[in-house]
Amino acid sequence: MRKFRFWKLFLAVTAFCILLPAAQLLLWSIAERWPWPGLLPESCSLRTVKELLFGSAKLPQLLLSSITLGLTVAALGTLAGILTARATELYDFPGKGLVTFGAFLPLLVPGTVFAMGIQITLIRLGLSDTLAGVVIVHLIAAVPYCITIMTDVTRAVGNKLEQQAMVLGASPLRAFFQGSFPQLLPGILSSMSMGFVLSYSQYFTTLMAGGGRVKTLALVLIPYIQSGDRALASVYSVTFAGSALLVFFLFEGLIHFIEKRGDGA
Amino acid sequence: MRKQRTVFLLLLPFLAVTALVLVSVWNVLVQSFGYIPAFGLTQPTLSYYKAVFTNPDFLSALRVSLKIALWSAALACILGVALSMALIRLKKTRGRAVYLVRFPILIPHAVVAVFMIQLFSQTGLLARAGYALGLVEDYTRFPQLLYTPGYGGTIAAYLWKEIPFVAYFVLAFMGSISDSLGQAAENLGASSARSFWEVTLPLSIPVIARAFLIIFIFAFGGYELPLLLGATMPKALPVQAYLAYMNPDLRQRPLAMAMNGVILLLSILMSAAYWYLVRRASRRMEGSA
Repeated sequence: MRKFRFWKLFLAVTAFCILLPAAQLLLWSIAERWPWPGLLPESCSLRTVKELLFGSAKLPQLLLSSITLGLTVAALGTLAGILTARATELYDFPGKGLVTFGAFLPLLVPGTVFAMGIQITLIRLGLSDTLAGVVIVHLIAAVPYCITIMTDVTRAVGNKLEQQAMVLGASPLRAFFQGSFPQLLPGILSSMSMGFVLSYSQYFTTLMAGGGRVKTLALVLIPYIQSGDRALASVYSVTFAGSALLVFFLFEGLIHFIEKRGDGA
Repeated sequence: MRKQRTVFLLLLPFLAVTALVLVSVWNVLVQSFGYIPAFGLTQPTLSYYKAVFTNPDFLSALRVSLKIALWSAALACILGVALSMALIRLKKTRGRAVYLVRFPILIPHAVVAVFMIQLFSQTGLLARAGYALGLVEDYTRFPQLLYTPGYGGTIAAYLWKEIPFVAYFVLAFMGSISDSLGQAAENLGASSARSFWEVTLPLSIPVIARAFLIIFIFAFGGYELPLLLGATMPKALPVQAYLAYMNPDLRQRPLAMAMNGVILLLSILMSAAYWYLVRRASRRMEGSA
């Protein structure tokens, strides 16, 4: 097919540009010596990786706390998304348009401006330099996307099954969990995966709300980049990006599993 | 009555998030007018905005941030739409190709900065490839691509992440338009190029405009990429604002907030322009239907 040749070339160039830096990062993280002007490292070893993972460094602990923070934000953001979507998709009320606008609002205020503006309020509430404060500011970044995803899914699923269950005598909560919830589940998981990724990659908001006391991978990585320590920056970057991908693919795997089972039933 | 209470309860988390954003915006504005009782500042004034707009450092920071935001958003939208079309034309709207496009969305910005340093620094892969090909004699001769006042490295980093973001953001919508109305145009004899330019693209403008807006505001208010890949002077606006914010001299605080106020104002102006354009486009569409 001649007419597709251009698009194929375009896609191939894109794939190359996306994958090349990732491959190079992997090499840097295991390179022991990689002097100019070699295109490949002179020698490789897993020494730095081992030291960071199993040595005195606190990488595993850092990884665990970053992932926990990300999952907490993902769960809370998705809960907010589910509830908001139920209100706008299943009920009629005045001012619905304002909710649609409001859901988009956090995207219109840059994270840097938001973080500097909210700090004084966090201090007054006693949430400054605390994990709860960081969760709150991360939520602002995640919620717009969670609402968008959950609105789409809720619109598609509706509440027919739930209403039937209630007609048959189920309590509203039971009707939701046994009627709509299984159908919403793939959407809930993709909303969680989005919320996780957004929280996981936050830097400035964590710095401001956590005051340096709440440590995440992003917070530890950036000083290494600034000091020009390539080996450490590479290993931390691989851990950072790799763990983000791992959690994302766990969510993707779960979604596929559920959808397949749903088709079979 | 009961229904209204249910709606209110369902909307509570949303209302809390919205309230936080509004409170933050309010704090920024109030402090930018010089009202910070804790620092003994109680007389609202416009003088901090005046001071900011007569400060050459601020003006060049504003220019830098506008440049980063415009180039990143414009190029990401053009190339992202092209990438999305490539996926649609090659019928790769699911599976491996889509994971390839989603990959950069998952990579944190700090890691993208590392990518750019490993590629474009004077001892980076590009310089090494240049040496291998005999184009560069020594790394000191390789042009400085990062940390320049032009902020090319920062823009490149945003593009690496945002081109795939746009492609993914518009993929479902453009795909469905292309499969339905675009296909109809082709069945009626339009070439595939014509059906793209006259049917699929015009109908997708609102989605593309939304992607542009999101990237513009994100890059305009972005901190870590210009910090890690940009020049010491001029700084990007958020970097400059944070510096003033953290200054031990507390009189700098309202100046920092005035800079944030300018970032906010421009973000709101861009959003207003977006709403105006999308509403006009949708009205024109209804008018012609």
